[in-house]
Order: sequence, then C-alpha cells, then structure tokens
Amino acid sequence: MKKLFILTMIVGIGHISYGQTYNDFETDSTSTSQPFTPSKTQFMIRGYGHTGLNFMNSEGEKESSYVGSAFAPIFLFKHSDRLMFEAELEFVLENNELEVGLEYADVMYVLNKNMTVRAGKFLLPFGTFMERLHPAWINRLPTRPLGFGHDGIAPSSGIGIELRGAFDLGGPKLNYSVYSTNGPRLKDGSEEPEEAGMLLFQNFEDNNNSKAFGGRLGILPFADSSTEFGFSAYSTNGVGETDSEYEDVGAFLYAIDFSFVKQVPAIGGFIDIKGQYNNSNIDDATYIEIEDDVEEEYTFDNKSNSFYTQLSYRPTMAESDFLKKLELVGRYSNYNAPEGAEWEEQSEQYAFGLNYWLTWRSVIKVAYQTTDSVGGHDGGGTVNGFYIHWAIGF
Amino acid sequence: MKTIHKIFIAGLMFFITGGIIVSCSSTKDTYTAATDVEEEFKIEKSGAQLWGEACNRCHLAPSPADYNDTDWSTISLHMRVRANLTEKEITKIETFLKSAN
Ligand code: HEC
Repeated sequence: MKKLFILTMIVGIGHISYGQTYNDFETDSTSTSQPFTPSKTQFMIRGYGHTGLNFMNSEGEKESSYVGSAFAPIFLFKHSDRLMFEAELEFVLENNELEVGLEYADVMYVLNKNMTVRAGKFLLPFGTFMERLHPAWINRLPTRPLGFGHDGIAPSSGIGIELRGAFDLGGPKLNYSVYSTNGPRLKDGSEEPEEAGMLLFQNFEDNNNSKAFGGRLGILPFADSSTEFGFSAYSTNGVGETDSEYEDVGAFLYAIDFSFVKQVPAIGGFIDIKGQYNNSNIDDATYIEIEDDVEEEYTFDNKSNSFYTQLSYRPTMAESDFLKKLELVGRYSNYNAPEGAEWEEQSEQYAFGLNYWLTWRSVIKVAYQTTDSVGGHDGGGTVNGFYIHWAIGF
Repeated sequence: MKTIHKIFIAGLMFFITGGIIVSCSSTKDTYTAATDVEEEFKIEKSGAQLWGEACNRCHLAPSPADYNDTDWSTISLHMRVRANLTEKEITKIETFLKSAN
C-alpha cells in the first residue's frame, strides 16, 4: 500500500514537472500567431465490428443465436507521403471461444506514380471479394458467398511481397498486382482424413521451397469508372511437404471478377452488380482412407469451382429521406467440390436482403438465405437462415 | 499442368519487367506536360466528380466533412494503394475532400 502511494506520488510529481518543463506558451493552443501545420507522421486507429441475431432452420432443426460480436481494429501509420504501415487484428467469438487473428500487417511504399510495393501479410487480390468487399460494413449481406471463408477455395491472404499500381489510359484505366507468397499447404489426410486434398492457405512458415506466384489485372474500360473486369491467377509448383510424396503436387487457380456501380437517373438510384468466379485445379495425388481398419488408397480429379453474383439497388434519388437510405440486395452463389473426394459437395445458395444505411459505413441488414447442398460436411440438405445484423465501421 | 505454370510465370515476368520499364521511363516532367495538353483540349473531370465515381465502387463514398485534412491524407494514401487508384484520380480527390470539409 505504502509502495503504491509513493509510486503514485512519483508519477504525479513527475508528470507535473514534465508538464511545466515543456509547457512553452509560444506553441500553446491559445496563441493564434502560428498556423497549424499537420505533422507528416500520422497515426489512425479505425476498424469495424458487427453483431446480430441468426435464426437457422436446418432440415427442421431450429436454432437461434445472438452472434457476430466481431471486433476488428485497424491501425494505419502514415510515415511519409510514400510510406505507410497497415495492420488489422480480428477478435471473433466462435465455438464458445475467443479467436484472435492477424488479418493483415504490411508495409507499403509508393515507388513512383504507377507502382507501389507491399510486403508482409496482406490480403490477396485474388478476385475482389476478399480484398475489397468482405468487411461487414462493405458486404451488403450478413454472410459470405459460397466458396469464401473457412473451407473456401480462394486464397484470402498471404505472407510475401507484392507490386501493384494503376495506369491512366486517358479515360479507361488499368490496374495490376503481382505477388509472391508462401504457397499453400496440402492437407494430405494424415490429420483430418475427411479433408484430404484440400489446400490450406494459412501458411505462416512455408513447408517447402516452392513459393506461390499470382497476380490480378483489372480493366476499367469507361471513363466514369463504373465498370471493372478483373482476371486473377495463382500458381504454385509444390504444395506438399519437402521430401514427402506430395512434394511435387502443384496447383493452379484462377478467378474472374466483375463490378458495375452507377447512379442511373432513369431508375432513381444506384445500381451495384458484383460477381466472381473461382476455379481451383490441384494435381492428382493418392490419399489414404481407412475403412474398417483397412487402409485403402484412392485418388480423384481435384478440381473445384465457385461462383457468385450480387445485385443491389439504392433509391438515392427518392423524395423521402427514409427511402433514400434503403437498399435491396439479392445474391446467388454456388460451390462444387471434386467428385470422389471425402469433401465432395455441390451447393447452391440464394440470399435476399433489405438494408438500412444509418451512415456511409453503418448499416442494419435484414436477410433471408437458403442453401441446398448434396454432400459436404453436414451431409447436405437444405439450410434456411434469417438474419438481423448491425455492422459499423469506425 | 507444368506447361501452364511455365507460361504463367513467363507472362508474369514479362509483365513485371514491362511495368517497371514503363513506369520508370515516364518522368514527372513529361507527365505534367501531358496533363497540361489534356487540360487544354478536353474538359477535365473535377475532383468532386471523380470522388462521386471512384469512391462508390466498393463502399458508399464518405462525405468530405467526415474527416479532417490530416485524416484525409492518411486515408488517401491507404485507398490509393488498396483500391489501386491512379495518381491523378487520388490527387484530385484528395484536394477536393480537403477543400470541402
Ligand atoms: C477498390 C475498392 C475501394 C475503392 C474504389 C475505395 N475504397 Fe475506401 N475502402 C475499401 C476497403 C476494402 C476499405 C476497408 C479497409 C480495411 O478495413 O482493411 C476501405 C476503407 C475506407 C475508409 C476507412 C478508413 C481507411 O482508410 O481504412 C475510408 C475513409 C475510405 N475507404 C474512403 C475512400 C475514398 C475517399 C475513396 C475514393 C477515393 C475510396 N475509399 C475508394 C475499398 C475501396
């Protein structure tokens, strides 16, 4: 107790004397003689969070839960007009546990007007959904389309180095990104036999010497930037462990994305169309299945694909203030996992939503979603969900 | 499969080298000159118009009043890189945002 008191005294007195030593009335906020010059070094904390209520009905089994409670602080540190560091932490409550993730942490430097280099852990421009559209305050629906997320076939982030930039073609615009990252890891089934043949993209330490190379080329053909087409590829020569029989199993993935956003006076508002097709092709390999204590070898044609398209409309030119803030959204997505794999699956999903925008980055989403699947983790069937979520960016 | 890899990597290398050559060869001087010429012959888009077009592509566009000048410089650099915007777009938009807040 005594120690604490003395410590408090020291801190208190130290604080006062520090304040007096450095309190220089010239730069005091009351003096108006000196104009305010912002420092070149800037630090911003921002981020987003979301929470909500889900009602799920899976083949008659009903369940409801308050969910989400995700909090993702983002740290932006601008060192100079060219140098910047960005990092995002993600706190999510899932399966009765708090999961903490480092979404990204990278440093970027503007080399010249057409090129920037980024290094560290960054979101991969494989298509646009993961890099640009997944944050809860950007995504128009409370869920992700099929094919993205946990058992997704598209890589979302990687550790490595990237060059990116844009060219102005006097109206049309072109943007590019090329990168090299630690490649994905092949799940060989030794730990989770039901996932043999899947790629695991979270690879903090590479399991072999072959890296992944990838890139995206985006074309905005019109001067009003309303339309963008993107082509992405991601390739690696080896996804297996060095010296294992899977060492030379390669993988080639590609994606095609589309975006159209424009205020159309004829329909009194903003129309927003997004879409992405992902295709994954992993070299064939032999996996082991244990059935009744007998080891059996099997193989399959390891090709997967997924697709989504989303249409949304905001009547921004409406008379009523309430209508202006509403948004209607519909999305279709599907996912096909390889035939013959333990995780073979064909799914199709429709989602519809009504959103109310409180501000440009705070939205209340009400949505209904229905998913039909054959195979997959839960054996397939129909799952219907009703969601009420609130997302906020800050 | 393996040939696809080789073609892909060759394409990539070609693209990187090309990109470096093109971007390094266009010096600041010629860039300014080109914009001047452009300004003379056609009506340039204003920062406000570019803001309305470019900043709505992924999320709803923030209004200039949402941040102060200091924050806008940080955000502009962040968005320039994240959204792969051209230098011309972001410079004009940043100037507009700072003038209208
Ligand atoms: C290509 C898509 C895209 C475009 C175009 C875009 N943004 Fe963003 N913006 C994002 C994403 C993605 C985030 C979220 C970043 C994150 O959370 O990691 C974001 C975040 C922001 C934020 C929150 C602060 C920050 O820096 O993270 C502001 C403010 C912002 N954008 C403003 C703008 C402005 C102004 C423009 C027009 C110049 C613009 N954006 C254009 C994708 C885009």
